[in-house]
Amino acid sequence: MTILKGDSIFKSFQDGKIETQVLHGVSLDLARGEVVILEGPSGSGKTTLLQILGCIMSPTKGTIEINGRPVAASRSRELASIRKKNLGFVFQQFNLFPALTVLENVEYALNIKGIDGKEARRQAQGLVDAVELTNRANYLPRDLSGGQKQRVAIARAMAGKPPVILADEPTANLDTQVGAQILALFNDLAKRENRGLLIVTHDPKVRTIADRVIQIRDGFIHAA
Amino acid sequence: MVDLGFKTLIHDKTRFTITVAGVAFAVTLVLAQVGLFFGLLDNSTISIRKSSADLWITSHNTANVDFPQQFSETYVERVRSVPGVARADNLILTYMSVSLPSGATENTVVYALKDFKTWNLPWSIKEGQVEDLRRGRFFMLDEGAANRFGSFKTGDFREVQETRLRIVGQTREAQSFTTNPISFMDYDLAQSMQSDYLNGRTSYVLVKLAPGADVESVRHEIQRRLPYNDVFTRDEWAKKSHDYWVVSTGLGMNSYLTVFLGCLVGVVVVAQTLYTSTMEHIKEFGTVKAIGGSNSDIYLILARQASIAAAAGFTIGLLFALGLVPLASKVHLKLIMPGPFIAMVAIGTLIMCLSASLLSFRKVANIDPSLVFRT
Repeated sequence: MTILKGDSIFKSFQDGKIETQVLHGVSLDLARGEVVILEGPSGSGKTTLLQILGCIMSPTKGTIEINGRPVAASRSRELASIRKKNLGFVFQQFNLFPALTVLENVEYALNIKGIDGKEARRQAQGLVDAVELTNRANYLPRDLSGGQKQRVAIARAMAGKPPVILADEPTANLDTQVGAQILALFNDLAKRENRGLLIVTHDPKVRTIADRVIQIRDGFIHAA
Repeated sequence: MVDLGFKTLIHDKTRFTITVAGVAFAVTLVLAQVGLFFGLLDNSTISIRKSSADLWITSHNTANVDFPQQFSETYVERVRSVPGVARADNLILTYMSVSLPSGATENTVVYALKDFKTWNLPWSIKEGQVEDLRRGRFFMLDEGAANRFGSFKTGDFREVQETRLRIVGQTREAQSFTTNPISFMDYDLAQSMQSDYLNGRTSYVLVKLAPGADVESVRHEIQRRLPYNDVFTRDEWAKKSHDYWVVSTGLGMNSYLTVFLGCLVGVVVVAQTLYTSTMEHIKEFGTVKAIGGSNSDIYLILARQASIAAAAGFTIGLLFALGLVPLASKVHLKLIMPGPFIAMVAIGTLIMCLSASLLSFRKVANIDPSLVFRT
């Protein structure tokens, strides 16, 4: 079942009088429980596509559907609402809140999604356990290794059970061994919890968990 | 709910300390400056408020209690004959020079009455008996005079208006807005010592009403009999004296300016530190937006930080200001901070900090969540 669908997406940026076309009618879909890898070199438009599919940016042209419902909103508040209900993000730089502990980082994401109090704490603890950071629950991000930080980011992305997880270069800042562990965790979560997982990367090792690999170059899909 | 605003604020302890110190400084500045001004204003009317006179008769257009113009002391007879007047006495308020042991000369504000007890003047006596003032060339001096006149004790002699007078007692809290020490002496002695100047004239007539007498009718009748004088109730006269210093001298404006500058310092410090903090945490705010947080969520974080800075800064500032009260008292300065004034400063501090955070609000409203994808 398709959970995320982008159809004929165009995106251009205006810089003064110069218009740069970044995406040229790109189409992409993602099913529940599927792991899709979006590969491409720097400047190919893969992160822009991820941002559009993640409702962080609006396309110049084209349509997006999440869970069968079209995303027509162009207002930032409505896009935020869609992100809150349907999407989880994992960033290359982790982007954890440095003043919050591991548990609080996950709990805060639950709070944003409307889950508060003891229930938020219970769910956060469950997610921290799931990424095997139980004994680091009260650590601040500065006291964690890169792999542990990425595990927290994954737990945070899972908060609120979003059907789609979008990850931007999740192994870029990790060594090979830790990167492999993170990918195994991703794969496990996608399959066990039936989430759609779209990973943007130029790391070929990520292919090991892919159900599908999509190549993007100069704003065009080359192979799917 | 996880308190991201609070935790982020205290995570950087140095910045938090600077923010709170800025607010505390502004609060202390406002409380201390305005408190001192209130103390001076309290001095400006304390003799009016402490006296038991129901009405004060002044010469026409006298601006305030410290700057009287003299009028004939015989007018008191006309007042005594008004129905509803239980008692009326002359009160001289004049300035006399005091030669100090050091050779310097200072001025004292002299309150001269025939019967001090009737009028509750002086209202607080540290040493001596007020009845002694009638028994010779004596006077009582307020303990606060030690700042200007040097230390003295009861029984000492001082040369006042080139007349050797003995200090027969000391009073407390008798201070003037002009900061000239207040002394008390017998009416006839004052007349004799400034015979050229006073020459059978008085500064005020104090009036005590008979029980059940109607204030307005008595005042109206006195005014009719003394058309070239003004008649005030105690509260009116206190207000007139108070307003003179606040409105006519620019001291009120000076006080408002101090409050404004204090607030400005607070706003600038808080705005600057919150804005810098916001810019340093801009990616975190972007993350909040990326994971579904709205502008309102971010506004709440900033408002929370501003409120915490306000509460912590106000508490420390208030404690500092309260700590200054006994220190000010040691040098005979009054630092008065009434409850409503403290409450106003507390509310003002919160508004000040929330206003300061508006600068950051404007910035975060335009945060593009896509910045979290940038490395």
